[in-house]
Amino acid sequence: MHQPWLNGMELLEDALRNKNFLTSGLEEMDMFLHGGFRVGQLTELVGPSSSGKTQVCLQVASNVARKYNGTVVYLDTGNSFSPQRIAQILGQSSDPANSQVKYQNLQNIMRNILCHSVFDIFGLFDVLHQLQFQLKLQNGKGDCHGRLLIVDSVSSLITPVLGGSGSLGRALMVAVGFLLKKLAHEHNLAVLVTNHTVAGEGGICKPALGESWKSIPHVRLLLYHERGSNICKISILKHPSMASGKAARFVMLPDSEHKGEPGMKRTV
Amino acid sequence: MKGFEVDLTRLRGGIFHFRRQKEDLRLGGIESEGDEKMDVWRLPISASLRGKLISAGYTSVTSLSSVSSANLAQDLNISNSEALNVLKVASHSGGSECLNENPSIINGAQNAWDLLHEEESLTHITTSCADLDGILGGGIHCKEVTEIGGVPGIGKTQLGIQLAVNVQIPHEFGGLGGKAIYIDTEGSFMVERALQIADACIEDMSEYNRFLRKDCQPCQMKMEPKDILEKIFYFRICSYTEQIALINYLDKFIAEHKDVKVVVVDSVTFHFRQDFEDMALRTRVLSEMALKLMKLAKKFSLAVVLLNQVTMKHAEGSFQLTLALGDSWSHSCTNRVILYWKGDERHAYIDKSPSLRSASAPYSVTTRGIRNSASSHKRIKMM
Repeated sequence: MHQPWLNGMELLEDALRNKNFLTSGLEEMDMFLHGGFRVGQLTELVGPSSSGKTQVCLQVASNVARKYNGTVVYLDTGNSFSPQRIAQILGQSSDPANSQVKYQNLQNIMRNILCHSVFDIFGLFDVLHQLQFQLKLQNGKGDCHGRLLIVDSVSSLITPVLGGSGSLGRALMVAVGFLLKKLAHEHNLAVLVTNHTVAGEGGICKPALGESWKSIPHVRLLLYHERGSNICKISILKHPSMASGKAARFVMLPDSEHKGEPGMKRTV
Repeated sequence: MKGFEVDLTRLRGGIFHFRRQKEDLRLGGIESEGDEKMDVWRLPISASLRGKLISAGYTSVTSLSSVSSANLAQDLNISNSEALNVLKVASHSGGSECLNENPSIINGAQNAWDLLHEEESLTHITTSCADLDGILGGGIHCKEVTEIGGVPGIGKTQLGIQLAVNVQIPHEFGGLGGKAIYIDTEGSFMVERALQIADACIEDMSEYNRFLRKDCQPCQMKMEPKDILEKIFYFRICSYTEQIALINYLDKFIAEHKDVKVVVVDSVTFHFRQDFEDMALRTRVLSEMALKLMKLAKKFSLAVVLLNQVTMKHAEGSFQLTLALGDSWSHSCTNRVILYWKGDERHAYIDKSPSLRSASAPYSVTTRGIRNSASSHKRIKMM
């Protein structure tokens, strides 16, 4: 079916009505991103191992499920989806209500988060096609609340097929990128993927997946976690409406039960 | 293939419990067919009608959602009631999904709530060091890949052997009652040492038995060190080709030995550091292997433990110790534990984990295996 042409006014209307921001629940981060993660866009989190990418994913998933009562689809490639951590994040920020209500709430929120393990790129295509079909079916029904798709991590699926002499790997990678963007745009999803870093020239870390991938995400954010401290740095590598290079520092607290605060805090 | 498998006696069959395996969560509905284009094939209608639908261009169920029965009747050259019937069937097959009590938009996906309960019901593999278990949240987790790295002599292999023994602690003692696969790439597995650790483990269990079950009927201590050694499947790997082949084969092997609950690879690094010249190829091969190990862990609900070596890395103007195999590899584990010396005491540090906070704890390597550091050698954590 041919997509109807849209003029600028119609696009603006669509953007205002459907392409809102999903907050992460981390006040500082939402402020830094001017509202959070945008529906219709593909946001990429880049960072070295244990820089907090999965923590941010779990945090955003929890918040979207709670605040917007939205459905979150979490595609996990590293067995690192931790329901325990989600319960912890939700437990910290929920109101101190009576325990029965709290339990019921937690249950309802956590039922909105669906996790699926994916261990190769063809499995990813399968799941995404299925998701596309289901969303098409649901579209008529108009239940358009915040929806989020997370792929943690997309790079570990692409790395095994990328490179070498053939260009098939690159084709698959770009196809995944475009399918994710298509889903984001047509079905009003916010899409969040994670990517790892590789050593570039002079030992400086750069995002993996190379130049062809670089142009695909709308937003690229670099996470960096200083070893032996709680400080986590986030900076913009690419953003459609913000200058790249802008950075903020947070304190990452993997387990902040004692502090009674959300998982990240800004440092001075 | 030079690698061989030690499986001296055929094992007595043990009934394997899939802990709360939730097949029923795979909510029905549309099959996991990726391509929705031709899904009219799955409509329960006659073959001739299906043929007519496809030749008229109605190849997907969605294409039927916006057409009226009159138009469809005209396009297919069938009666209006037949067309109505087709539309009814089509809308039913699409709509049933949403009427489900627990709607799942992806087949095989599980919601976080169910996963939480599943996770809580899983038993962890104790390290026999209460402090280490403490920071690990009870021990090594099943369904996850844990990488353990450290300098030579810190006790990586010791920990590997200990886990291969401890995975066999029976259910009555709070263990998993499973079997172990030990993949040895360096030739560092020592069977005498395994026997020693097994002996100590059984001793501890019987002591625990006497201590806690004085009043109750004593639990029969049927286990002998011999039994423990029999339940360790040992593979000796002499090249990276063999290593890849073995990991590809494990899926089949574990499907036949479903009570395997831990796979130890000692070390995952060795051959990949020796023979490889094309580093880009190495990255590809390693990341594919990592995904296969992830899949094994998830599919069979077992713990994968990868032992890794350390290397010097030049970063930020200084040299620091990191685990070998590079940046891409560092993403291929769920948890990472670094073993290091602090003075003359051994410590373990949680470097990466989605659910555990970073923490460190001392441990020691004794003749009896991995134990708490210093004074509390006798203490073994069973629950």
